[in-house]
Amino acid sequence: MASPEPLVDLAGISKSFARRFLVQNRTFRLRDIDISIGRGEVVGLLGESGSGKSTVANIITRLTGFDGGRYHYRGRDVSTLTRKESFAFKSDVQIVFQDPYGSLNPRATVRSSVMESLLLHKPGLSRRERITRANRLLEEVGLNPERGDHYPHEFSGGQRQRIAIARALAVEPELLVCDEPLSSLDVSIQAQILELFVRMIRERHLTIVFISHDVNVVRLICDRVYIMNDGRIVENGPAQDVLSNPQNEYTARLLEAVY
Amino acid sequence: MDEPLLKVENVAISLRHDGRSMVAGVSFAVNEREVFGIVGESGSGKTLLTRTLFGLHDDAFLSRGSVTFAGETVPLSGYAAAMRKRLGHAIGFVLQDPFSSLNPTMRVGKQITEAIYLAKGWPMGAERTKEAAMALMSEVGIPEPKLAFDQFPDQFSGGMRQRIVFAIALSQEPKLLVADEPTTALDAITQRRVIDLILDRSRRHKLAVILISHNLELLRQSVDRIAVLYGGQLLNIVTAGEIGTRTIHPYAEALFACIPARDKRLADVRAIPGEPVAAGAARIGCAFASRCSFAEAVCREAPLPVNPGAAATFSACLLGRGVH
Repeated sequence: MASPEPLVDLAGISKSFARRFLVQNRTFRLRDIDISIGRGEVVGLLGESGSGKSTVANIITRLTGFDGGRYHYRGRDVSTLTRKESFAFKSDVQIVFQDPYGSLNPRATVRSSVMESLLLHKPGLSRRERITRANRLLEEVGLNPERGDHYPHEFSGGQRQRIAIARALAVEPELLVCDEPLSSLDVSIQAQILELFVRMIRERHLTIVFISHDVNVVRLICDRVYIMNDGRIVENGPAQDVLSNPQNEYTARLLEAVY
Repeated sequence: MDEPLLKVENVAISLRHDGRSMVAGVSFAVNEREVFGIVGESGSGKTLLTRTLFGLHDDAFLSRGSVTFAGETVPLSGYAAAMRKRLGHAIGFVLQDPFSSLNPTMRVGKQITEAIYLAKGWPMGAERTKEAAMALMSEVGIPEPKLAFDQFPDQFSGGMRQRIVFAIALSQEPKLLVADEPTTALDAITQRRVIDLILDRSRRHKLAVILISHNLELLRQSVDRIAVLYGGQLLNIVTAGEIGTRTIHPYAEALFACIPARDKRLADVRAIPGEPVAAGAARIGCAFASRCSFAEAVCREAPLPVNPGAAATFSACLLGRGVH
């Protein structure tokens, strides 16, 4: 499935920063992060809170920089991208966050939120085409397009997460980075959004980085998995193998604790 | 069978400011030594129910029903105050958030010894109280209690803080421990340790436990019986072993099918269509009818059955699914 040249190639990435821990700051170190993701792969990044997985997501999406190592995207070193190429990168790589309320503009209707990202990344489209596309996207993620005139607060958490996904898909990204997209949702809604992801993976052939602390969800949808603990990758491999026959002591402990 | 430790019969809970009924027709009983689970999604009323039942809710009150604890019926007038007298003695309560249930300006040792004083009175003496506190701390798995005794809550991790809260709750030697989502703020490994700690304590000290969680799989593996709440209604009480093996209430069944439990394949995880309804909406019939694949006209029209005599197992399904 993976093409010979990986889509995302992180080698020896390190980053240290002060993280506020209760009252004092502590230095957090991300060390020796090697991640390689082929086109069309669904890759899980599994770890507990504070393991550094969100920081890795932010590095992949270039929301944050790093201190050492190198990051190649489609074979290009991202630090050498021109302005124009950086812009193309942004429409190629989209992110879905844990909290769908925080990621939508509360003062924009949900349709205009979706249209806004079309306006930025698909400037050739007329307004009418943007409306049609936004409606089609809302429908694709399971929302009634007629509710497009409503504001984010009028939707439930699960619906808001659908909107965030529609917005990310609007620009037809190659890579979708999902940072704990299910964690703030109720159990029955989690299963709905999980179904949406599975459909998305099948129909759109997206490359997905799925960041989660939920072993069971990662087992169900990911081809490969990286296990993170304390700023390092402790184990990686095919999800089925790693999660049924862990080689690392930490992975084993984590799996044992899962209900 | 002996009298249950806690018996809740046909209880309804209303909000103080507008009298709106939030939870109605709830009956269940918790036996001595039993580990009893309450499961529900957000808005199901599980936290409102337990907080009001144990006198911890200022904005809601018991508007109907009867509650018997340890053989004594607690009168509805002055209910919260009467229940609060039992809190911290016969009943221990552990909240979800270990960050807010400890005093951040007081050393943890002091907080535990204070609880012991309150439970047993001053005559114990400072030395013996301190010893008792440290014994409790090591019992709940806090390493080096001598060192930990003089530290402040912020010097502990979330899991350790939750253990301190447990030490305080257990210092009273309660008959019943109520834990409302005690592990939601914790990591998987810590969660398992804290749950195991509760179960172990229950087994060794004949402690009855009410464990409230949104995680049906966690409860299925941990408790004896589970009450399932949805939209302010008690829909089902099942034994843990019945889940996945027998026909249970359609909502409980659907909730179980949602969970990507460890031995499930993707095809076995089935979402429930629609959105959960919140407690407090005026309704006739079954709250789950709008999402239930079995629903018929009767589900929206008939009054919901109430668990008679707080029987051990119960299904409120108007179509009789899960009724044994």
